[in-house]
Amino acid sequence: MPHTIEKDFSYTFHTKTTNSTLNVPITVPMHNDSKEFVARLTQVHNLPCFVHQDLESKLDGFVSKETSQLYDKNANEAVEKVRNGEIDVNDLVKQWLPAYCQELKMYAKPHQLSNDERFAEVYHKLIHSPALETLLNLEHEYSLGVERVTKERDRDLQHLQDKQRADMDEALKSVGSVYKDEDINLLAQKQFENTQIVEGKWTSELRTLHEQQKVEYREWVFQVHEDSQGKAPLPPYVQRLRSLSSVLPDADVEERQAHVSRLEESFTIHLGAQMKTTHNLRLLCTDVLDLCRHKPHTIGGLVIPQPQRLQTAMSLYSNNLCGLVLLADNRLNSYTGIKQKFAQICDSSTDFHFPTLDHQFQVIEEQLPKAADVKAKKKGSSDEVDQLSLHSSTSSSSDEKEKVGEKKLHSGDFYLTKHSNLSEVHVVFHVVTDDNLRTSDITSRHPVILSIRNIIKLCFRYDIHTLTVPLLLTHEMSEEMTISWCMKRAELMFKCVKGFMIEMATYSSQESRTIQFLVPRGLSEELFHQISNMIPTIFRLSNPLVVKSN
Amino acid sequence: MPALGSADFGVRTFYAASHPNDKCGPNGLPLTPNSIKILGRFQYLSALSHPKLCQYIDISKTKHECMIVISEHHRTCLREKIKIENSLSETQIANIGFQILDGLTYLHEKKVVHRNLSLDNILIDKQGNIKLSEYGLYYMTDYGADVSFPIGLPRYMPPEVLCSGPVKVDEDTGHCVQPTSGPKADVWTFGVILLELILGKEIWAGQGIEEVLMKIIELIKSDMSALDHLCQDPILGEKLKGFSKEMWDVLRLCLAVSSSKRASSAELKQHPLFRYVREFTVAHKKEFSMFTTELRCADLELPTYEQTIANEFSDDHLSQRSMQEVYYLWRLAGGDLDSVLKKAGMSKTRPPVHLLPCYGILAGDVFGQDRDYAELLNNTVITLSQEQLRFRLRDIPSTAFYPLLEDELKSPEPQQLPTSPSYGEMTSSATLPLVIREKDIEYQFHRIILYERLLSAYPFKRPYIWREARIDVPPLVRANVWAALLEVEGDVEGLYTSIDKETPTATDRQIEVDIPRCHQYHELLSSPTAHVKFKRVLKAWVLSNPQYVYWQGLDSLCAPFLALSFNNEAVAFACMNAFISKYLHKFFMRDNSAVIQEYLAVFSHLIAFHDPELSNHLEGIGFIPDLYAIPWFLTMYAHVFPLHKIVHLWDTLLLGNSSFPLCIGVSILQQLRDRLLSFGFNECILLFSDMPEIDIERCVQDSIKFFCSTPKSASYRQHARPLAQKNSTERPNISYYSRDYHELPQTDLSMEPMSIEELKSEKCPRISAEDLIELGELAGSASSRSPTKKRQNSKPMILILDVRHHEDFKRGTLQGSINIPFQTAFSPEGDLNPCPAVHVLNSRRNQVIVVVGNRGRNAANFANELVRLGYSRVCVLHKGIDVFRTTDLITLPPADL
Repeated sequence: MPHTIEKDFSYTFHTKTTNSTLNVPITVPMHNDSKEFVARLTQVHNLPCFVHQDLESKLDGFVSKETSQLYDKNANEAVEKVRNGEIDVNDLVKQWLPAYCQELKMYAKPHQLSNDERFAEVYHKLIHSPALETLLNLEHEYSLGVERVTKERDRDLQHLQDKQRADMDEALKSVGSVYKDEDINLLAQKQFENTQIVEGKWTSELRTLHEQQKVEYREWVFQVHEDSQGKAPLPPYVQRLRSLSSVLPDADVEERQAHVSRLEESFTIHLGAQMKTTHNLRLLCTDVLDLCRHKPHTIGGLVIPQPQRLQTAMSLYSNNLCGLVLLADNRLNSYTGIKQKFAQICDSSTDFHFPTLDHQFQVIEEQLPKAADVKAKKKGSSDEVDQLSLHSSTSSSSDEKEKVGEKKLHSGDFYLTKHSNLSEVHVVFHVVTDDNLRTSDITSRHPVILSIRNIIKLCFRYDIHTLTVPLLLTHEMSEEMTISWCMKRAELMFKCVKGFMIEMATYSSQESRTIQFLVPRGLSEELFHQISNMIPTIFRLSNPLVVKSN
Repeated sequence: MPALGSADFGVRTFYAASHPNDKCGPNGLPLTPNSIKILGRFQYLSALSHPKLCQYIDISKTKHECMIVISEHHRTCLREKIKIENSLSETQIANIGFQILDGLTYLHEKKVVHRNLSLDNILIDKQGNIKLSEYGLYYMTDYGADVSFPIGLPRYMPPEVLCSGPVKVDEDTGHCVQPTSGPKADVWTFGVILLELILGKEIWAGQGIEEVLMKIIELIKSDMSALDHLCQDPILGEKLKGFSKEMWDVLRLCLAVSSSKRASSAELKQHPLFRYVREFTVAHKKEFSMFTTELRCADLELPTYEQTIANEFSDDHLSQRSMQEVYYLWRLAGGDLDSVLKKAGMSKTRPPVHLLPCYGILAGDVFGQDRDYAELLNNTVITLSQEQLRFRLRDIPSTAFYPLLEDELKSPEPQQLPTSPSYGEMTSSATLPLVIREKDIEYQFHRIILYERLLSAYPFKRPYIWREARIDVPPLVRANVWAALLEVEGDVEGLYTSIDKETPTATDRQIEVDIPRCHQYHELLSSPTAHVKFKRVLKAWVLSNPQYVYWQGLDSLCAPFLALSFNNEAVAFACMNAFISKYLHKFFMRDNSAVIQEYLAVFSHLIAFHDPELSNHLEGIGFIPDLYAIPWFLTMYAHVFPLHKIVHLWDTLLLGNSSFPLCIGVSILQQLRDRLLSFGFNECILLFSDMPEIDIERCVQDSIKFFCSTPKSASYRQHARPLAQKNSTERPNISYYSRDYHELPQTDLSMEPMSIEELKSEKCPRISAEDLIELGELAGSASSRSPTKKRQNSKPMILILDVRHHEDFKRGTLQGSINIPFQTAFSPEGDLNPCPAVHVLNSRRNQVIVVVGNRGRNAANFANELVRLGYSRVCVLHKGIDVFRTTDLITLPPADL
């Protein structure tokens, strides 16, 4: 069933001496005005001007007749297919049903708010009300509770470890005399089991505590919300809250400033050739986990919540989220390295809004087979040409490999976790990296850089307005990171991020974004300034405001 | 656009389907988002206008592919009518049916298929007329390909639509796979609606989608005619019995399963059933459009006495204004669509943190994301309240709606221009910054009404339009005002139609490469519809100017005109053509180097004239205009600035002559002056590689200032457009400056062409003897045409510096000149040797210094030295003192003291 069809149009006109006939193929339906077509015909075939009007009306008639016939033909063909059973009626209805039920509000099932979403709504309301301070204080109280347990756990484990070491030392001394090698092994195994039991005990205790706190907290929030709904002028809870909050002593200036010690520099930049959009860049030198960790904040000896908490909590359900890129290896767990540290921070207080890290990992894992399918398909389509030239045996073996690695993460993939209990971050993108990031000659086509492009795209799509990116694509300083290595990497990243930002800003609104470039702690101050001096050469800074004396 | 009348504004939203991740189109560029495509296609709909259709007014796109459509709306719909009246008589049904057909026929003529007809979107206005609404959804979404929801409700689905299944989108082209619906699809639906009118209720009410679809399939499969099959239903059969044969016939013609047996809407309109209604219909009056050869009075019927009375005594003057205008004012009155939608609970509600995916792969696909239910199609219409607008306009007297445009040519001073009727109270507002004026509803209201009246009297009222444009141009009427300022006249459409824009030519490829890079941040211009229009207009220009070739930059020049006259390519083309021939004469020749070189040389002269310090610095580091200014002039800054700034710049540029763009260049440099002075060559290159933000209003003000303090002959160019043949006396001689120098008669005292080498060797511009006489008031001050000299008794703005030998000077010179002989003027260090004349020179630094010498190069060299020393506004008398020999202006200087 064609959308268009070519038809021959013939036109005859008479003059005193001759009969002239014009034959032209015409595509119907015609896209442009028939007047224009007539003008073209007149020009090309050098037609006399007196046939103009006649030709136009004839052409109009012809086109509308043929167009209508084309539509009729297409329509009849479609109907005929159903009439003669070529298309199954039930199939047809089955196709239409979801089209209506899933896309039109009037036919769709009303959307049921999940428990989490209901909580989110209530919380968002409360956090923008006078209850805010109490809410935060309560959260803080809870986190202190968790901290106590963690401290106890650490002490307990430490104690156990000390004891075990002593035992082991003791045992080792008498190897050969009292104990045999097997005994030592036995002891080691026993110790290990013990440790596991103790750890397990603490983990479950902590988990129970988290669960308990979460339930309590949510109940409390709903309760307060209900209270506030009821009475009109000054609901009692406000007073209750007021009295609670007034207990806190005011902060001294010194205490407030005590912890601000990270190196940072901010820039306002313009992107775009003609239409400029304004964005903010920040270069900061600190440990990546510092953006997650709540620093102990004491006022008059009391540990109180950090001011950043407030901002993070208030924007959690808003259209202004903060994201962080964390580099990870290709295993979806939190047993080693920075992943472990990150998990510890996540566990150091209860997440009242989102599932635990482990649980989120499970959900991610469920997505992996789906992703593997898509990958295989993409690979298949792009390799199709290659596959044809290859022997069938090699291609099947690669297929098998793909199946084995079904659940594997590849370099450049990322998984995403959401948190409500981190200091300056709501969303963490865990980017899967590999070792060749350490070499100095990576290009803009490196999987990790492409992954950052995907992440920036996601940020534009989901209102993540602040994104923190490790500028050097590493979280720690290492030996191969010479000055020239760092400068080269920084330049590459700046340029790539600039390109991605320009790309994503096309067609989207003029909202401004903030990108924080993070360099690892331990970078020399001099190098930091060199990197920051590079920004004005790569990005167009907004016009400096020049203050003149007169 | 039609007048507002009793209509409301209705707002609807829907979501465009988002593309799968990172797909690229056949041209290798990323796919255009569907929302942008819709935006482009919508424009055609807003140009449709018919009394039986709800006018489309505006569309906008918010985040995440959400489209907001604003259209005319009425509060009653057909569903409510049948609910109230229960059963309608045959006459009533015929009346309603005819009106629906009237609207449908118009749509079908315009190649738009409704596909969405239902009891809910057939509206009824206060006078009881039928108004179809939502008729553009199928068209603007590229026949359903750009959205994920099906268009049209199940019970109205024509057999062929049902049989083709839901729209499938071709992955490569982005269009739908199935054939699109023809106009006869609407006729089926029309039949179903007639049945519902007869029934007095919805057909198959209370049945689910599946059942309804099965019913239609039964109709398709049945061997009986669809109508007979339906009549098996006892209730319907009973109801139908009471209706005439003609009604039966119409129903049969509509409800034919086979499309070829179905009548078309135009045929149905002629059906005997409607003969009585037909007799009483009045032809649809054409609205005013500026450049058309169609007679406005073709269907004119003089209003009856009743109509006049009704109009005269209506207090609601706002309802007489066009919808577009009222909507524009509504927005100025603080109308904000976002907040309206938010209030109605129609904006996105789920927080993004809940929707986020949890896993993404390298290829860019993401997994685990949640869908926002707000994206489902919601048929709710929100009416915009006009309360606030009417409140804001409450104090405006009725007379302000109909300002008088009296011809004031009879006033004592015939040379003076008519004063603006909106002048009185508006003068104070007129001095506010432009951005504020554009947001001031009352100010805009007066300006729009005034312009609208002036424009409908174009070209007769052109002097007035010119006059008003010197104050400002309201954004709403800018397209037509520009056309008026560019003196576009005649059968523009006919001319445009006659150009063959389809046949491939050699420049097509370059045009196709350039268009997707031209002002693509602009939503409208980035749409495929715009790309097609771009290409057509550009091709038309290239074809109609065979002496020129396509140069890159032409696309940028086209952009502002296309963006303004999007629905009228012919006007965009005519404006662009007029603009280029006025400001860019000869710039698009195959070999344009001579023209551009001359332009740049004059530009450097002007920099030296106004800012010698900057000129010296730039020359010192070798940063010559060739390196940065060519794209400025070749595109008249359209390549350098975003569209919203270009329009403000061009508002003024269009009033000036062809030298005005040079002054804009100088004022841009002025804004960057501090930075340029501190920069070396590389930094300067870097600075201009990506133009920094420029304050455009300041830039405009500065360029006017520069323009007015530059003698006209200083910007003389031999390649400028020669004197136009046509007699343009109808344009007033508004000021000395708005005329091109080249359009004035040439005499011995005028400028003459100079070679490029000569131009380049001199740092300063030359002034013609004519200008010197005029500006120096050598022939008395009465004849001055210059607006720069405001007070009659002020000192002349010129200081004449005679650099000939003292003896020559003694023998005769121009009145009021001082003498510094070139030979003795400079010390070995290059400074001026102090003497009384130098003292005079230093004390009158803000005046234009005209260096007068003999025919040799002394004067020019002297002037070069003055520039080096930082003297501003230095120029050289063209052809030296000898040129005055024939005049009686040479006198003996007063004796030395």
